[in-house]
Amino acid sequence: MSAQLAQIFTQGMTLSGLQRLMLMLPLCLSIAVIYKTTRCQRMQEVPTAAAVLWGTIVIGMFAVGIGLWLLFQIAV
Amino acid sequence: MTSQNISPVIRLPLAGILAWLVPGLGHIFLGDRARGLTCLVTVTVTFWSGVAIGGVRSTVDPQQRKLWFMAQLCTGGNTLGAYALHQSLKAGNAKADAAKSIGHWSSADVGVHYTGVAGLLNLLVIFDAIARADAVPTRRSRRKRTEPAT
Repeated sequence: MSAQLAQIFTQGMTLSGLQRLMLMLPLCLSIAVIYKTTRCQRMQEVPTAAAVLWGTIVIGMFAVGIGLWLLFQIAV
Repeated sequence: MTSQNISPVIRLPLAGILAWLVPGLGHIFLGDRARGLTCLVTVTVTFWSGVAIGGVRSTVDPQQRKLWFMAQLCTGGNTLGAYALHQSLKAGNAKADAAKSIGHWSSADVGVHYTGVAGLLNLLVIFDAIARADAVPTRRSRRKRTEPAT
């Protein structure tokens, strides 16, 4: 049991391109939660504010990614 | 004994050191338990998820990734634990480690980003704990505020 648990942290995962892209979502959620935890006066406000910020970051990053991809397609 | 009884000269650096050592502990020390626990869970889960994705040998590596390691160090206890694990594995089989780190370069990069971002997020938590420690009113200042002006 402990050997299996240790193996989780010692051997890296093999990820596909889509999996790597999807791993952006929990990282953005962590950023949104910590930022809103430090900014909000009352803790009750944090879940809604973090969800809104998470959505904004994800949509914004995908928009930038699509924009750069289109620019690359046109220019190259 | 609560943090309000401690002098600000000690309370400020103590809140910062505790927040560095264990993410969120600075807030818990100041009496803000819910905020502290949220920071503790979020930063710790992000950091160890990164280690699990990339593998500890190629994720927490001060020789190969100096700047990232500096960012990771902001999580204090987590990074020290991961570095100790890295060192124990390195001593065991150095050649196999090198081969694995080349084979898993893409997931290692994801892991490094996760752990580095966790460190930088904890830096934000440390500054917030220090700012809140400064804002906590001491018993004397509260007494002054409540006393009527003569």
